[in-house]
Amino acid sequence: MLISLNWLQRYVDLSGLSPEKIADDLTLTTAETEGIHPFGEALAQILVAKVIDCGPHPEADKLSVTKVDAGTGELLQIVCGAPNVAKGQTVPVILPGRRLPDGTKIKKGKLRGQVSHGMICSERELGLSDEHKGILVLDTDLAPGSPLTEAIPVRDVLIEIDNKSINHRPDLWGHYGFARELSAIYGRPLADPLLGRSLDLPQEGETLALSIDVPSEACPRYIGAIAHKIRIQSAPDWMRYLLIAVGQRPINNIVDLTNFLMLDLGQPMHAFDLHAIRGQRISVRFAKEGETMKTLDGEERVLEPSDLLICDAEGPVALAGIMGGENSMVSGDTQSLFLESANFHPATVRRSSARLGLRTDSSARFEKSLDPSLAEEAAKKFLSLLPEVSPGAILAGPLQDPSAWTYEPKRVHLRTERASRILGIQLEESKVRSILEPLGFELTKEDEKSFIVGIPSWRATKDIGIEEDLIEEIGRSYRYDNIPEKAPLRRVQAPYRDPELWTLRKIRHILAEDCAMNEVYNYSFLGDELCERLGLTDLPYAEVTNAIASHYTRLRRDLLPGLFGSMALNLGPQDQVALFECGKGYRPDQAGETRVDPETGQTRSLPQEVHQVVGLIASRKDKGAYSLLRGRLEHLLTRLGRPQFSSKLLQEAPPWMHPGRSASLHPPGDPDAPAFGSIGELHPRILQNLDLDLGEDQAAAFCLDLRSLLAVPEQPLSYRPVPKYPEQPVDLAFLAPEGLQVATLTKLLKEANPKLVQGVRLFEVYRGKGLPEGKKSLNFTVTLCSPKRTLEAKDEERYINRVRDLARELGAELRG
Amino acid sequence: MSSLAELQARALKEIREAADLEGLKRVEQVYLGKKGELRQQLGQLSSLPKEERPAFGKAVNDCKLAISEALEERERELQAAELTARLSGEGFDPTEPGQPFETGTLHPISQITEELVDVFQGLGFSWLDGPEVEFEYYNFDALGIPGDHPARESHDTFWLKDGNVLRTHTSPVQIRAMERFGAPLSVIVPGRCFRNETVDASHEHTFYQMEGLMVGRDISVSHLVYTMKTCLREILKRDIEIRLRPGYFPFVEPGFELDVNCPFCGGIGSPDCKNCKVCKQSGWIEMLPCGMVHPDVLRSGGLDPEEWTGFAFGLGLQRLVMVRYGVNDIRDFTGGDLRFLRQFTRV
Repeated sequence: MLISLNWLQRYVDLSGLSPEKIADDLTLTTAETEGIHPFGEALAQILVAKVIDCGPHPEADKLSVTKVDAGTGELLQIVCGAPNVAKGQTVPVILPGRRLPDGTKIKKGKLRGQVSHGMICSERELGLSDEHKGILVLDTDLAPGSPLTEAIPVRDVLIEIDNKSINHRPDLWGHYGFARELSAIYGRPLADPLLGRSLDLPQEGETLALSIDVPSEACPRYIGAIAHKIRIQSAPDWMRYLLIAVGQRPINNIVDLTNFLMLDLGQPMHAFDLHAIRGQRISVRFAKEGETMKTLDGEERVLEPSDLLICDAEGPVALAGIMGGENSMVSGDTQSLFLESANFHPATVRRSSARLGLRTDSSARFEKSLDPSLAEEAAKKFLSLLPEVSPGAILAGPLQDPSAWTYEPKRVHLRTERASRILGIQLEESKVRSILEPLGFELTKEDEKSFIVGIPSWRATKDIGIEEDLIEEIGRSYRYDNIPEKAPLRRVQAPYRDPELWTLRKIRHILAEDCAMNEVYNYSFLGDELCERLGLTDLPYAEVTNAIASHYTRLRRDLLPGLFGSMALNLGPQDQVALFECGKGYRPDQAGETRVDPETGQTRSLPQEVHQVVGLIASRKDKGAYSLLRGRLEHLLTRLGRPQFSSKLLQEAPPWMHPGRSASLHPPGDPDAPAFGSIGELHPRILQNLDLDLGEDQAAAFCLDLRSLLAVPEQPLSYRPVPKYPEQPVDLAFLAPEGLQVATLTKLLKEANPKLVQGVRLFEVYRGKGLPEGKKSLNFTVTLCSPKRTLEAKDEERYINRVRDLARELGAELRG
Repeated sequence: MSSLAELQARALKEIREAADLEGLKRVEQVYLGKKGELRQQLGQLSSLPKEERPAFGKAVNDCKLAISEALEERERELQAAELTARLSGEGFDPTEPGQPFETGTLHPISQITEELVDVFQGLGFSWLDGPEVEFEYYNFDALGIPGDHPARESHDTFWLKDGNVLRTHTSPVQIRAMERFGAPLSVIVPGRCFRNETVDASHEHTFYQMEGLMVGRDISVSHLVYTMKTCLREILKRDIEIRLRPGYFPFVEPGFELDVNCPFCGGIGSPDCKNCKVCKQSGWIEMLPCGMVHPDVLRSGGLDPEEWTGFAFGLGLQRLVMVRYGVNDIRDFTGGDLRFLRQFTRV
């Protein structure tokens, strides 16, 4: 919203204050200002000039050739197309090389053979109105060559207010509200809104049958008045100039007057053509199902019973608080009018305007909870200005105000000590008083320590309701930047450390730093396209009712499908990717937290949110993805204090995992306990659906469920003394049947001599050429060491023989 | 005897002329080796008359000593020369890079989160989390945003079929934290939030916010100013000025916008401020919304506002990263493109 300093100046003396200072002070105490814009600079480029001579153009009927004195010391020939140009007029002239307010540069030119040294301007060309039938004729004695701004005092400075910062302040949607703030800020008096104009309202006379047929909450106030002998013409210059400055296009005197009052007091009003009101009656009611009306923008609107309407005897004439109807609008022929100044329910106006996609300056204001007192103030101001705006107009009857609306000031208890405590300053009672009273609050002392504060009507609708609201008023006027900083005094204590969050943090570092994997973030939404490509549409998802785009309707259950998208994206530029992500999956089929609404008794539950850590490795060139990834996963588990775990073939594999080449991970020694994660190769179909030409063992992924992982007890780190006697590494190669698992052999190697075996490490698995069908070669290094003596050859021999015998029982042959 | 003198002279000459340690070794072999010339000379000893033997023996020994000394001296010379040669550094290019090795990266939002967590942890704040699918009650009602409150409109909420919402801010965790831990309380809640916005270079439907909350017996605006100043100084890594100005948020009262003096021009009064496009010559940039916790919010959290007061703030994490590194497209954060993500190698 733009506020004009000329406009504010009508109510509060701003002399001696720079626009920068005013903007700064408003920002720090009232509302955010976004800029300062001088207005009318362009008009200073245009000169007042006298038409010395005017004659017909020899070659064109509609053009005149003039000789103009623009104070330049010589007479200028200017060709003019306006029908009203005449000798002796004082007119605005723009010289070649200068620009009109819209930026058009004027050049010296020739029109049908006649040289033209500039242009005589119409109001539209000057940006003053839409008037373009002829040139603007000035009524001034100024000498030729004076800047036009001396004849037309349109120069102004505008301060741009961020609308978001006044959404909670219904009193600031007009200039008067800002004038009130500035008067409090600078301690300068505030003029009354009528500026001393008197208003002689007839006590009786012509009225309409006016009824409010809705609960008073929907329409707290509806004021009407009738005026005759209206002449539609231009509004007075001063009013038009103020409107132009703030960007409101002048239309005609009556429309301009309602717009002026909306921007002046913040009260939207509507003027109906009285003769279009059928049946001498106006009622406020809700729309009927399927009812329609044509608003004055020419659109046919289909209404719903929640839309509030202004109707005459036959049907709607306005959409309450939003826009008038086309059937009853003021036109050039209007001679009598019915003025509406009302107050409507904010949420009702907001919902209708949102549903109809019809946001107007009027609806924007009603949405903010306007003060119903303002309706009366604005009506009175309208009527007091009417004789000036439309000379000869007659008020035909009294103000009709059928609602029994009166304002009984809301009272709020205010403790000086409480204000001091919350703001962190020491406030005196007199300070509190000197801050609040200029803003219109009425303070009565209740006792030694507190006040009863009467809230003015313009702050009472939604803005100020409790003690803290008043404390805010005190704080902002005191100025928050005057509040000194102070360290809070608290008991020293170790902050609570959430195990999940801190473990996740550690996991991220291990995967990025030790495992050389890259973290990505994917949306919580699972894109429809990805979902379909991966064949995951049949799972139960939490669904969004108002999806941002039709392709984001589901919330992910698992993180891996999203990570596949990242894999596909990055396998273009790169041959190999190692990715991980930590985040939440949402499981609506598993009830999470439950809450009973205390009012309705209704029970709702949240979907279970599972915290997952997922990772993948994929390579266009090399096999071995599974082993690379498994090595990293084992390292991760070791770093997390859980080096031991058991694993088995993944049962009920999710659709993206290879059902025959995936493992589930379980607590050590308990492969039947619930799994805390899984790892495996990706299902060939998934790769195919992602258009990735990856073969066997070129893409593998893991998934850890953080909560289940943390439920696995951490394994204590036990210290073992550095061996005193040399360690003896022994390489052992087995020819084993495919069914014999590494875990079984590892166990065997340990148990063959638990005292001497210090470590068992698989260093190679070989399948294929040179081996019999159904067999694999497993190669281990076993480290033997005794705490008591140096081992001899016969110790190693004895161990190997024992292993050979045990292995044979399992169908494995120790080679060599 | 003359042959000994001649031998010695020849040996010393060859020693002097030995070009390197290897050559010197060969000379040593020729003269002092097992089958060396001196040994051969000594072999003649038995064929000499008995009385000549001592003198000959001594002469051979003197000769050996002289050669040994010369050898040692020449060896030292050659070693020194070799060291000098090794130190010459020829063939060394100080700009030649080392061999690269595989590393990984943390997402920039993870990095900034950790940085914030560390700063606030140091001030005694606990790091908390809350559900991303949230009850309407916690996301709105408990925070003083009932059904017809206009603020709901600006929240552009994603509604789920089960009637819950995707949380539009991290503020619901204020209530959850008060319910769970009571007071006094100092928590931060970084996390993922959602607003139904059309995505472009500066808007995202998925964004990251960090809520902060401190509740105590007499927490005031002056404590808020101190805490914010202390933390922002750490995060922005410079000495800062801040200012509070009125701002409206339903769950705080009074509510503020907190501005920091412009990091690009240095703020009002600096010579660059007159041309600064970042702060538009105002000297300030908007940093975060904050305020004193609304008494109704304390009540929702089960605390008596007569007994407890507190402050709360919210910080946009993407914006922080964008300002710090000059990232100009917010979509990069969830784009998953490693060519973007791998640039953030600070952690």
